[in-house]
Amino acid sequence: MTGPAIQTKDLCKSYGRVDAVREMNLSVGAHRITGFLGRNGAGKSTTIKMLLGMIRPTSGEGRVLNCRIGNPSESIHLRRHTAFVAEDKRLYPYMSVAEIIRFTSSFYPDWRTGAQESLLRKFELPPARRVGSLSKGMRTKLALLLALARQPDLLILDEPSEGLDPTGVEQLLEILVAHCSEGTSIFFSSHQIEEVERIADQVCIVEHGRVLLDASMDDIRQYSRQIELGFPFDAAGLNFDFAGVRRVRTAGRQMTLLTSGNADEIIDRARGYGASSIETSPLRLRQLFLSMVQENSDALV
Amino acid sequence: MLWYKAWLETRARFLISLCGMTSLGTWYAYNELHDASKFARAEWYFRVLHTGHTLLATMWVAAVLILMMGGLLRERDLGTAPFTLALPVSRGRLMRTRILVGILESSALAIVPWTALFVTVNRFGSPPVIPQALFHLLLLAGGGVVFFATAFLVSSSVEGEYTAPAVSIGLLFVCVFASDDRAFRDYNPFNFILGTEYLDRASQLLIGPAPWAHVFANILVSALLTALAIQSIQKKDF
Repeated sequence: MTGPAIQTKDLCKSYGRVDAVREMNLSVGAHRITGFLGRNGAGKSTTIKMLLGMIRPTSGEGRVLNCRIGNPSESIHLRRHTAFVAEDKRLYPYMSVAEIIRFTSSFYPDWRTGAQESLLRKFELPPARRVGSLSKGMRTKLALLLALARQPDLLILDEPSEGLDPTGVEQLLEILVAHCSEGTSIFFSSHQIEEVERIADQVCIVEHGRVLLDASMDDIRQYSRQIELGFPFDAAGLNFDFAGVRRVRTAGRQMTLLTSGNADEIIDRARGYGASSIETSPLRLRQLFLSMVQENSDALV
Repeated sequence: MLWYKAWLETRARFLISLCGMTSLGTWYAYNELHDASKFARAEWYFRVLHTGHTLLATMWVAAVLILMMGGLLRERDLGTAPFTLALPVSRGRLMRTRILVGILESSALAIVPWTALFVTVNRFGSPPVIPQALFHLLLLAGGGVVFFATAFLVSSSVEGEYTAPAVSIGLLFVCVFASDDRAFRDYNPFNFILGTEYLDRASQLLIGPAPWAHVFANILVSALLTALAIQSIQKKDF
């Protein structure tokens, strides 16, 4: 596949006066793992549902695997080559595990019986049990099996680890990395930022229906820094107005900056101000996420 | 495999309706005829047949209204709609499968209990009633198609797990209670199914030419209702 796996341009979805998604511009690279982060109600699930044709965009356009999301026949084609796990992981309660596997496999030519058997054993799913009687964790594992027993071009997962125990989460992350190495593009939303940080190549952070950040994890690791500055005087009023500075917190003589770039320039200026101590440390994705979301909320206020 | 899903969704409702209607129709005919068959005349048999038809037709309409509940709106309430809509099939195909399975089940609900009724009446000495049986089935199919399409439209446009069946059954009650209303009588599909317009009171037989024009008008109305249902689902967000 050439070009991005997912691309949207000014994608919008409104419900009356409420804008669930606003001018969403996404570009999800092929053969990569992309984490999709955002608070509850940020527009993640709505965006995913628009990509899969479940919700009609109010305006804007999007392409998944080079298929237009608004075109019904292209939407069927893209769904044939995309595996999806929904947020709720609700499956037909009246079918048994074996029945829903047989049902789902009949729609996909890329179904892998070997992978299905291996996942059944790994997840310890009982084939004869009714789906309606499965626990939430087991249901999540079954939903994952139905998506992962294939060799799709694109895997879209909405909160895939929700309901899984630590062992299940570990198994899931290993499987996702293995799928990506086989050429599958993976786009997954999660509130578990540590999971995203561990396996994602790219991260998109959304808030209030807009993309706040679309960056590679390598760039984040390389350029994002927390800088702790100590001054022999009250630091209030010092100017560190550089591009990339996400947050400045001042407490008397101490100042903390979170930045996604220009760390060297900030340090130079701090020295110019006569800083008595300068400590830099890599910025974790959680800190970056929280700072960006907070910054956006402050801007809206 | 979509047909298999549609069958599993409706299987319990269908089998309960089939068993209930068949046993009730048979029991009714047996109860009316097992003592009276020694001295019964032809019109008595036909009266049992027509009353049995009325009984089964009312149950059939109620069963079809319940049977046709479901589909994507109900799946949205149950939370399974994202899984269904992520399958590589169009919404139109999902709906066509439901319609086809619904037609097959409704046909079985018409044929099996009526056959049981006719066989029971015949076992107790009724004269051959094949043309009467076919006339009754024509009325049922010609009027029932409107209820079938109405239930499909309601299930595709009324939200809420219990609201859609409540609306459908409410419509049936309106039709039943308005069956004597003069202004509404000619357009009431429930009246058409009962065949009171074609019943000769003396012989208790349905008489007159088959009402093909009325049947085709009902089919057209049903096609319109079905098209509206499909349009409604195509436009909805899930």
